[in-house]
Amino acid sequence: MNTPSAVLSGTGLFKSYGMTRALAGVDIGITAGESLAVMGPSGSGKSTLLHCLAGIERPDSGEVLLDGKRIDQLREPARSELRRTAFGFVFQSGQLLPELPADENVALPLMLGGTARREAVEQARQWFGPLGLQGLESRRPGQLSGGQAQRVAIARALVGRPKVIFADEPTGALDQTTGMEVIHLLAEVSRSQGAALVVVTHDANVARWCDRTVRVRDGLLAEAHTEAETGAEANAGYRR
Amino acid sequence: MRALDRTTWALTWRLTRAGGRTGLLVTGLAVAAAAVSTTLLLLCVAMNLGFQHRSDRADWRNPVESSRPVAVEAVGTTFTRGVPVTVVDVARLPGRTAPAPPGLDRFPAPGELWVSPALGALLDRLPADRHPVPGTPTGTLGRAALTHPGELVAVVGHRSTDPAVTTPREPDPRRVGDIASPTRVASFTGAPLTDGMGGIYESLARVATVLVVVPLLVLGASAARLSVSRRDERLAALRLIGATPGRIAGLTAAEALLTGTAGALLGVVGYAVLLPVAASLPLAGGAWYPADLWIGAPPLLAVTAGVVALVVISALAGLRQVVVGPLGVARRSRSRGASAVRAVVFVVVVAVYGWITKKYGSDDSMALYAFAALFLALAVIGPWVVRLLGRIVTALAKRPATLLAGRRLLDDPKAAWRIVSGLTLAGFVAGFFALLTLDAASSWGGRPDQLAIAVPDNKVTQVRTLAEQRLHAAGVTAVIGDDGFVAQGPSDSRQVTATVSGGPADLDRARTALTGLIPDQYPITGPEVNWSEERFTRDFTTITRMVLVVTFTVAITSAGITAAAAVLDRRRTYGLLHLAGTPLRVLDAARSRETLIPVTVLAGGAVATGLLCGGSMMLAGGDSSFDARGLIVLAVCCAAGFGGILAVGALSRPLLRAVTRQAGTRGE
Repeated sequence: MNTPSAVLSGTGLFKSYGMTRALAGVDIGITAGESLAVMGPSGSGKSTLLHCLAGIERPDSGEVLLDGKRIDQLREPARSELRRTAFGFVFQSGQLLPELPADENVALPLMLGGTARREAVEQARQWFGPLGLQGLESRRPGQLSGGQAQRVAIARALVGRPKVIFADEPTGALDQTTGMEVIHLLAEVSRSQGAALVVVTHDANVARWCDRTVRVRDGLLAEAHTEAETGAEANAGYRR
Repeated sequence: MRALDRTTWALTWRLTRAGGRTGLLVTGLAVAAAAVSTTLLLLCVAMNLGFQHRSDRADWRNPVESSRPVAVEAVGTTFTRGVPVTVVDVARLPGRTAPAPPGLDRFPAPGELWVSPALGALLDRLPADRHPVPGTPTGTLGRAALTHPGELVAVVGHRSTDPAVTTPREPDPRRVGDIASPTRVASFTGAPLTDGMGGIYESLARVATVLVVVPLLVLGASAARLSVSRRDERLAALRLIGATPGRIAGLTAAEALLTGTAGALLGVVGYAVLLPVAASLPLAGGAWYPADLWIGAPPLLAVTAGVVALVVISALAGLRQVVVGPLGVARRSRSRGASAVRAVVFVVVVAVYGWITKKYGSDDSMALYAFAALFLALAVIGPWVVRLLGRIVTALAKRPATLLAGRRLLDDPKAAWRIVSGLTLAGFVAGFFALLTLDAASSWGGRPDQLAIAVPDNKVTQVRTLAEQRLHAAGVTAVIGDDGFVAQGPSDSRQVTATVSGGPADLDRARTALTGLIPDQYPITGPEVNWSEERFTRDFTTITRMVLVVTFTVAITSAGITAAAAVLDRRRTYGLLHLAGTPLRVLDAARSRETLIPVTVLAGGAVATGLLCGGSMMLAGGDSSFDARGLIVLAVCCAAGFGGILAVGALSRPLLRAVTRQAGTRGE
């Protein structure tokens, strides 16, 4: 699915680890401000898809385009810089540096990009209010709840104004209620910033917050759902 | 104990085997570190006991007067080419049964000469007119008579009326142990020389051991932590599925026990293998009897058990986070502080050290204890200084790498201290020895080619004539004089000197010719008065260099192991930061600064403290002459230490690259 308006797209993506094929020809695209949930059973290839789209890994074949430019052929340092400047990441847990206070954790990508420390921290603190983190700027990750820590991670993903945010099981370590709050916030803030959001999840309740859902099975995109369909599936799941 | 039941051992074995190549490497490193620590600790103990054994076997040459004597014993020291030859004159008292002196199977008959194997070989090589002792050897002295295999010792049998055992000998306070006036003894047990060189060597060995032991303990502990770093996530997973803290502690203790025991046993093997090598080191006059360096079963077991206990305790201490909560590091909410009490303790210990060295002097064992306390005090203040540095670096940081380093130092000063502690302590050792140099130059005048004898005033003319005759008969050209302060004699004595112009061989001939001219004296040159100080000075340099090499090598090795453990500890965070685009060089720079900043400040401070302590010990000992060569050695040590820390940083870089490459977006 390589639409002309896609900010990020992957075409004919193949990836194997030894004899195991993780991706078997995936075509996928996402437009600016859109949120996409990638679902699938364990080992289906969804994390590999995220890794290939985010430039963490190079596909064996196929191409990944960001704003129409190929990024899969870039060398690691260039891909690393791309991840820092054009993408944001939210992981399941453990992504915050335990010794840095929350505001410096958020400011880190800006500092890595060359922004002066004071300015970076000031910019970082501007995200604390909208994300409901006011007053927690000086706390260290160990002093935050799981939900608060994930919000700090979201702030860190957004602070560099990325084009795409990748979230791999962002609610995996949270309880249901907190998880829903976090994914809601992530989807809303990404949309308001015009950033595309790719969420890898097992949870249909997480996926329902996204505009679109794709399913990966045996390295292939099996089907696509709209937000309404995924929501219905999640509700059905609750009924069951 | 349930924590160490069969299940625990089975699980431990399974986890150890399932560790893969990295696991094997880590286990191997832990075992190797424990082995190296054990070997070197055993060698330290061996050196201490060895010097003690040597001193013990020299006791018989320090006769003790008895009210029920059976024999007479007198001791003198002559030289051959600068090497001392101890001559023990013995005579059985009439009608008494005297025991055989140590190393002999019977009491020597009058006129008999018994020599040590080394002296026997020397006598075989030299012509008779150059023999340091007259006569043909009757027998060979055994080990019980000798401090070391290369020692030159002669035992001469006399009648109880011979001048050699009846003429009083003037003791020389500059040459403790060299001369003993004829003494009526009941046995040849003797007594320890309270102010002899043996005691000084023992003190030096104790100081060297204190200096080496602490870095070795750091090495053993760091190896245990490396092992735990790799296992913590698996153990945390076990904790999550319901394993009790006791079980987790048991698993860790079991693994540490296995690696520690394997390492300690290998260390014992290493000690046994290195024993002959250590025995060949020429210290205090020559190589060792290997048996002197064999420490025996109880100390061997004690050291081995100590190393194993240290490894287990360190592993358990490193595991605290996993045991407290299964989420471990991620849930850590408070920084691990380092209270200012540590600084107070350090200042107090430095003050007490200064007071003790001033009050008791440098030779007293109190000074040794104070010194050991000071050495340990460095380990107490270290984390506090790291924390202070963390505060400063964090406040001043402009770049991400510096900020990360500063925050890390502030957050966990003890972890950063663990990396640099070995080098800090080694820096102290280098500083301590830099100024603690010895000067053995003779202050008694005399020349190396001039032999002197102290002669009573009224016999000077007669002795001069006799000396000229004997030298002429020996074919030696010499100028006879009667001035100087080389040989010790009664207050009414003067020096008769013979300045020999024909070189060392002629000096030997002259010495042989003049021996016996005065029955209570051997001719001596000026430099020979200070022979034991000169030897000690050389040995002091050798031992201090050995201590520096060992402490720096061990310190750099433990810094490398701890740096690797630190990477493994933080592999998840490093991995995720890298995935999110943080360049590897930033992570690496943060890691470097986290080590280089404290090592520069702390090792610098430790060098300064060492200089202060070494200097104060020198001044307390009444010596104010500092040797610039010590500062050169210090500079070399600093360069080696700094280079070493850069090298271990570079060596752990591939590990950092590997852990960031292996990282996935999910937890392991």
